[in-house]
Amino acid sequence: MESTPELEIRGLSSVRGGYETLRDVSLELARGETLFCMGNAGSGKSTLLKTAAGICVPAGGEVLFRGTQLSHMDKREEEAFRKASGFAFQDAALWANQSIYENLALPIRLHESGWSESEVERAARKATELVGWEGNMRERPAELSLGERKLVGIARALVLDPELLFMDEPTWGLDEASAARMSEILRGLKTRGRSIIVSSAASDLVSNCADTVAVLINGVLVAHGTYSAAVAWDEGRLRAVTGRLKPRETVPEWATGLAGEWAEAIAADATPPKDLEGGEEGQRRERGKK
Amino acid sequence: MLSKLGRTALGTLDEFLYAMGFFARVLKESALFFRRRKVGFKVLVLQILFTGIDALGITAIMALSIGAAIIIIGSSLLTEFGQGKFMYSILIVVITKELGPLLTAFVIIARSGTAIATELGGMAVDHEIEAYVAVGVDPVAYLAAPRFLGVVISNMALDLYFNIFGLMGSFAVVQLVRPIAFDEYFRNLFAILQPWDILSGVGKGFVFGVIISVVSLYRGFAVERSVTEVPVAGIKAVGSSFILCILADIIMTAAQYLR
Repeated sequence: MESTPELEIRGLSSVRGGYETLRDVSLELARGETLFCMGNAGSGKSTLLKTAAGICVPAGGEVLFRGTQLSHMDKREEEAFRKASGFAFQDAALWANQSIYENLALPIRLHESGWSESEVERAARKATELVGWEGNMRERPAELSLGERKLVGIARALVLDPELLFMDEPTWGLDEASAARMSEILRGLKTRGRSIIVSSAASDLVSNCADTVAVLINGVLVAHGTYSAAVAWDEGRLRAVTGRLKPRETVPEWATGLAGEWAEAIAADATPPKDLEGGEEGQRRERGKK
Repeated sequence: MLSKLGRTALGTLDEFLYAMGFFARVLKESALFFRRRKVGFKVLVLQILFTGIDALGITAIMALSIGAAIIIIGSSLLTEFGQGKFMYSILIVVITKELGPLLTAFVIIARSGTAIATELGGMAVDHEIEAYVAVGVDPVAYLAAPRFLGVVISNMALDLYFNIFGLMGSFAVVQLVRPIAFDEYFRNLFAILQPWDILSGVGKGFVFGVIISVVSLYRGFAVERSVTEVPVAGIKAVGSSFILCILADIIMTAAQYLR
């Protein structure tokens, strides 16, 4: 029996300001898959993410989370979906009239009403540490730089450790070190089996993290396939979008469940690390080999 | 030509029905507000502080000025015609039932109506409202309901405040210009003042509060993409609120006097 996809998009259309921004887009995101939506500016990537996340109302089509239509969810199902999903906005979209701490605490207070204030604070700190932001949590978003706001926005999306993550241009506005860290974070999330849908034009990030790639042109999905297939796409209009994607170095099959520095180290010497903490899939495969 | 007219009419009807649906949702979420987790309670407190408390000064100045003006004009002009006793009736009608509620509403439109529409418009442009949806916060429950309740409560409270200053405080002002005996003024005033006078004014305050808050919220939420839409939303909130409050005032006044 085929397993239910984490997210299923069927014939999605969207109209904004009288213009069709998405036209009949259908996609599936399997559990643990990282899908990158690529396309030029104005191609409909952000609209696709927002509509798929139930933030924008589609003009047509439907979105299913684990087999349940978002538009047919009752209050409890919708709460469960919101708790299980996180959305990192391109421009951070922090609540300007609240402190950074309040920005991070609100989703926790909403979905984990039993948590004490110290637990909320610990979770907020953990999220900011994960993205590498070390500023003052009492500051307002306006006091931060664009890059810092972006990091806090990503931390807010990660604060409840969501199983499904939407990330709209996660490296946009970030310095090189933060962008590299973002790549690490994404690979770490992949290791932990999180399903991720990312809109990005950053070929490095796509090369490092994508399982599958979808290309949008003027709101129409023109191609969808595995990363290796995307590297081989040779049609002119697709090359214009995916042309800078590089073939990946071969990584041993048993190491594909690992991430970050491990994956690079493994690719280099093909020797499995002794400590496979966190890489359950790798451990299982390693045991299987023995 | 006809098809254009038809499209305009259909568009207007569509917007009207959408606005009615929005109004119904705001009412529903406001009715459920106090039963919910207190996520929006801080917003309610801040709204009352801004709309009600911060407007006390300007409301007091207006009430004192208008009350004093009526007393001065009434005590000099009406007594010339031997109709001095009508001064109290006019004072009560103007302060409690007619000018008081309307002027209070105008103050709230100018201060809070514009603030609500532009604040929400700015939040919409910065995707902050989308961010609330993304984490599971219903923007109508969290952003609209406390603002609606805050404006309605504040409008009614400011009407009472206007009454106090307009009827009693203005007496003190008049002493500086044209002294009137304390016991004579208050004896005549309370002989004519009825609880219904106060209640009808506060009732108008309730209606005006509903109009101002819903119109301002609606205009704020209607902002979509551009920062240039934000001041337009503020202007439209003011214009629509003024017109609707005046129309509502005419209807309520007619209902009172044409019975």
